Amino acid sequence: MSRATATAAPPAVRPAGHAVLRGGRASFLVHRRSVVVAVALAILLACAVVAYLCVGESFVPPTEVVRVLLGRPSPDELVVGTLRLPRLVVGLLAGAAFGVAGALVQTVARNPLASPDVIGVTHGAGAATVAAISFNAVAYDALPYVSVAGGLAAALLVYVFAWRRGLHSSRFVLVGIGVSVALGSLTQLFLTKGDYLVAQQAKVWLTGSLNGRGYEEARPLAVVLLLAVPAALWAARAQRGAHFDDDTAAALGVRLDRLRLGLTVLGVVLASVATGAAGPVDFVALLAPQIARRLTRTAQIPLLSSALTGALVVVVADLLARRLFSPIELPVGVLTAVVGAPYLMWLIVRTRSRSGGTTS
Amino acid sequence: MSRPTTSRLAAQDLTLAYEDRTVVEGLDLEIPDGKVTVVVGPNACGKSTLLRALGRLLKPRRGAVLLDGAELARVPGKQIARTIGVLPQSPTPPDGITVADLVARGRQPHQKWWQQWSEADELAVAEALRRTDTADLSDRPVDELSGGQRQRVWIAMALAQDTDLLLLDEPTTYLDIAHQVEVLDLVRRLNHERGRTVVAVLHDLNQAARYADHLVAMKAGRIVAQGRPAEVVTAELVEDVFGLSSVVVPDPVTGGPLVVPARAWQPAPLQEEHTRSTTRP
Repeated sequence: MSRATATAAPPAVRPAGHAVLRGGRASFLVHRRSVVVAVALAILLACAVVAYLCVGESFVPPTEVVRVLLGRPSPDELVVGTLRLPRLVVGLLAGAAFGVAGALVQTVARNPLASPDVIGVTHGAGAATVAAISFNAVAYDALPYVSVAGGLAAALLVYVFAWRRGLHSSRFVLVGIGVSVALGSLTQLFLTKGDYLVAQQAKVWLTGSLNGRGYEEARPLAVVLLLAVPAALWAARAQRGAHFDDDTAAALGVRLDRLRLGLTVLGVVLASVATGAAGPVDFVALLAPQIARRLTRTAQIPLLSSALTGALVVVVADLLARRLFSPIELPVGVLTAVVGAPYLMWLIVRTRSRSGGTTS
Repeated sequence: MSRPTTSRLAAQDLTLAYEDRTVVEGLDLEIPDGKVTVVVGPNACGKSTLLRALGRLLKPRRGAVLLDGAELARVPGKQIARTIGVLPQSPTPPDGITVADLVARGRQPHQKWWQQWSEADELAVAEALRRTDTADLSDRPVDELSGGQRQRVWIAMALAQDTDLLLLDEPTTYLDIAHQVEVLDLVRRLNHERGRTVVAVLHDLNQAARYADHLVAMKAGRIVAQGRPAEVVTAELVEDVFGLSSVVVPDPVTGGPLVVPARAWQPAPLQEEHTRSTTRP
């Protein structure tokens, strides 16, 4: 009956800010601003990468850096290709992994305060690794695996404690903070029990440092990231369901409990692996998704932009950490904490004043 | 279709419970196809719980909800979502989402990763916006809308889902009387023009009597009476179900049953005299 009016002038309706690509029966939505943001971030990141490789004890001109990157012979092969590049690769991968992990955990928790650092994953990885270092329990090569196991165990602990016929977001965050604090104390205990020199080494790891990190650390990280790409593609679409309350999601055919579990596991694995490679580089997972989301202005947290932002933050922070007090190198985690801690406080203050101040 | 006597949606020996509190026990119900069914009853009688189970938002403790003869618990969620639309009691919109985007989310059960926005999606959303008179609001954030507008937007989302069955849990709560009538008129129109089967839980007995084809009266987790409102709504039923003595008169507009509480409120005369004399100098 209403066909006549519907066919007369069908107005183009599409989700705000999206372009539609159609071919045959297939159709894809592209958020225009997200594409622009991702391209801009990629360009910035490329610049940061070149700058990172140029700057150091000795300055290498960008032209030589590009030659090395392209695999051409160059006199700076040793400095750029052997000394700086492996460390940069770890930073890039870890940053990207932290960015995506933060985005996923924040999506599940529906809370910008949540991130793998806040909910115990990095502390779990930290405690396990410090225990392994202090008590000389495993070979040095196996440390990343210990760290991943620790992160997963901590996340599982949080999940079990926070689960009460469903996963309530604020309980999830609170339990996570509690577990983090407990694991932090445990780490301190391991440090005091262990050998003094070993403790010193563990402490540097604990602040998150890229110093001396190379391809051995990068390899497992790269493998996991590669494996995570299809999962992340799934997550980017599935994320949309996580914005609803349980009933509305179920009405749309979304199993919210399974979805949350899937997104959380992916986020926790990424964060743990990154922590295993680079140490707990604090606040990157907290900051990057929120920066990315403010840039794309989307309701959901953009995964690709979060990854790029995370990588950018770590690379720039490590560049500064290397050069700021040269010849002394700061751990990159110190730099990210200097930026991240005030942001976290601002976030807490803002959330509180907003929830208390308005009635709308 | 092969069994015209059986309705598409039915409950059999349904027992529903939250933890150890049983809310509905051994309930049988057939939802008449192509009709508007309204469930009424006092607070906490299990009417919303029943609706949640019919929309598979709640798993039965015992018994089953059948959709086209198949047990709802065994049908994939996405497939159910293409047949049954549910509007829960107090849905929360994602932060900052616009009206068009929220309504578009109703298409989710029809979409795949390689079919993200088909022409069918576009038509269904445009149609849902038009029918609910929300097309003018389409670029506005949902958070900024009034209660009545917001409710219409949620109904639009359920409509965009394009299902044969629509379950509404107290769709008129929080709305003023004009918006209540507007929403219920919309529900009737949908049923009338598209032959959609609607099940709604309503608080207001008179509205239920006015808009239902089939009225289901519940009390303490059981069905007390069901049928056409004119047959079901009687002074005895109101007394039995709500514990209220009333007079049922013909609705001056529709001629259907209209429930009027039997006793007018009167102040206790002595008390009134007393307060007046003390408060006034």
